[in-house]
Amino acid sequence: MARQTFQQATVAAIAEEMRRDPDVFIMGEDIGKFGGPLHSCLGLWEEFGAEGRVIDTPISEGTFVGAGVGAAMQGKRPIVDLMFLEFLGLVVHQFGLDGGAMHYYSDGKVKVPMVVRAKYGVGPFHGHAYDFHSWLLNVPGVKVVAPSNPADAKGLMKAAIRDDNPVFFLEHMGLYHAGREEVGDGDGVIPLGQADIKRAGNDVTVVATALMVKRALAAAERLRNDGIDVEVLDLRSLVPMDEQAVLTSVRRTGRLVVACEAIKRGGSANEVVSLVAEEAFADLRAPIARVAPPSVPVPYHRELEKLYLPDHDDIADAVRRVMAA
Amino acid sequence: MPRDNQTLLDLYRLMALTRALDGAIAEIDGHWHGLEGEEAVVAGAYHGLRPGDVVAPHYRGSLTAACGRGADLRKLLAGLLGKATSYNRGRYRSDVCGPPEFNLIGLYSGALGPPLAYATGAALAIKLDGRDDVALAVFGDGTSSRGDCHEAMNMASALCLPVVFVCQNNQIAISTPASDGVAPRSVADRAVGYGMPGHEIDGNDVLAVHDTVQMAIARARRGDGPSLIDAVTYRVAGHFVSDTVEDRPPEEIERWRARDPIALFRRYLVEQGVIDDGDLGEIDQAVSAEVAAAMAQAKADPDPGPDVLGLDRVFA
Ligand SMILES: Cc1ncc(C[n+]2csc(CCOP(=O)(O)OP(=O)(O)O)c2C)c(N)n1
Repeated sequence: MARQTFQQATVAAIAEEMRRDPDVFIMGEDIGKFGGPLHSCLGLWEEFGAEGRVIDTPISEGTFVGAGVGAAMQGKRPIVDLMFLEFLGLVVHQFGLDGGAMHYYSDGKVKVPMVVRAKYGVGPFHGHAYDFHSWLLNVPGVKVVAPSNPADAKGLMKAAIRDDNPVFFLEHMGLYHAGREEVGDGDGVIPLGQADIKRAGNDVTVVATALMVKRALAAAERLRNDGIDVEVLDLRSLVPMDEQAVLTSVRRTGRLVVACEAIKRGGSANEVVSLVAEEAFADLRAPIARVAPPSVPVPYHRELEKLYLPDHDDIADAVRRVMAA
Repeated sequence: MPRDNQTLLDLYRLMALTRALDGAIAEIDGHWHGLEGEEAVVAGAYHGLRPGDVVAPHYRGSLTAACGRGADLRKLLAGLLGKATSYNRGRYRSDVCGPPEFNLIGLYSGALGPPLAYATGAALAIKLDGRDDVALAVFGDGTSSRGDCHEAMNMASALCLPVVFVCQNNQIAISTPASDGVAPRSVADRAVGYGMPGHEIDGNDVLAVHDTVQMAIARARRGDGPSLIDAVTYRVAGHFVSDTVEDRPPEEIERWRARDPIALFRRYLVEQGVIDDGDLGEIDQAVSAEVAAAMAQAKADPDPGPDVLGLDRVFA
């Protein structure tokens, strides 16, 4: 066991997988000797640089993600560090539309085992905050992972690297250096598509990912004083989604709140809501509530940013509303 | 190229203002992307434009472009602090995105590259209107590797659009030296491939920058199409203020510090008898006082209220 930050655990997973499988390599901007912005690749250059497996690229996102797809088609297992999720729009064609379709359209002859990782989210780094992960839910053939703590980050990154499909791995900047937690030494692979109950409760299910898990847990603590017993379900991966875990929890509590950092319209929260509306409508004892930012670009002033991003109070309010209904 | 003393002093003033702003902002903002040593490129490029010209500045130097076009310093600094008195009332940062009312195209997300296309589109609109205005697109050596950059240059040339492309080549992108990120020897060498003139110039010589940009602008106004200028300078500072990782040889940094563009230009102005040291000192003081006053005002300015979030203001 070691106490690690989200960043350290993620890099540890990459280093362990690079040791284990010589086909794994990593590329992106400023990830070599510099160690990656916010230390996203710290130490990898020292260990694997001489083997040519840590590759600094020019600022050419579409092409280096496309090159990742091309190398994956040849049997390599590239990890591409996109730096920020804000650049998703520059690469969604190569990664998603083509990369996600290749296995299906080739009738299983082509595999694209690659990971694109990106930092995002409202946090101490005042900028590049956009959370666009929901776009990817509407692209067939790609997986989307959004861990909420260091141990999950490690286990999920390992699973992502071992997966034979294009996987998008989200690294929230508000969690990145936000404290150390126990992380196991062993292989500790966490299969994609397994949700995790971060707090068990009986009255209401709050489904969340990444930073919203932390905020949901804080909301749950406050609600305990009001006598409301909240279950916090961390999806961990949006695609594949652990539908069974969501349904099991909601069938038990009869109430659902979904918290999401992507804007409300078209956000991934809606996928959870639709699932429950279709499959567990009869088990609901109250209308569903969503907690998500309004449909505006992330504003700059910190006070506006606070208004924009749901916090524990917003989640607690939604829970109270659902309980009162 | 003939130039009057007023132009020379205006260029000096814009360089001095850039330096003063850089110092003042570095004190309050750890994420500020400083431009010590790059003042000649931005002052030389952004001085002498007409109001109808459209500018898409490189983010590093965007404030200088706004000042050069007449934007209000206090409002710009308020924009850095997200204050209600800024040009967009605190919705967006002013350090990478200038006010559009001055015909400035900024970064509307953090992605480098797309503004080159917007500048090309501005030139297209100018051409469709039959105006003799131009678009000026400035970008870093790192940004020159973006597909947007290559595609914008090719399209501008193919459609014979009035664009002047200027690479603010500080020879590094975060940690990646231009020698690793840019395949040819010089960014200017790429011009051949796009079928436009390419000029490699000393980016620490403000007159070389100004003259070359003005020459390219004149060509574009005549309807003869785009040009590419590679203004080679050096990022003396870190990538941003609190970025202390430094892998470049200290001698290299010192060598470029010794070629400080402001010091070089001061020497030139005094030698040519344009102005003496005492009067230059007065300009420096006046500029510093202006920045200090604007900063004090901006700091005291009110924060935006919840109404600025403007949930019903996304669509036009
Ligand atoms: C499309 C895109 N990729 C990556 C980044 C992250 N980034 C911010 S500044 C920077 C370096 C840019 O280098 P250059 O164009 O040479 O400008 P400089 O910072 O040297 O002024 C990078 C890679 C970005 N903002 N946009």
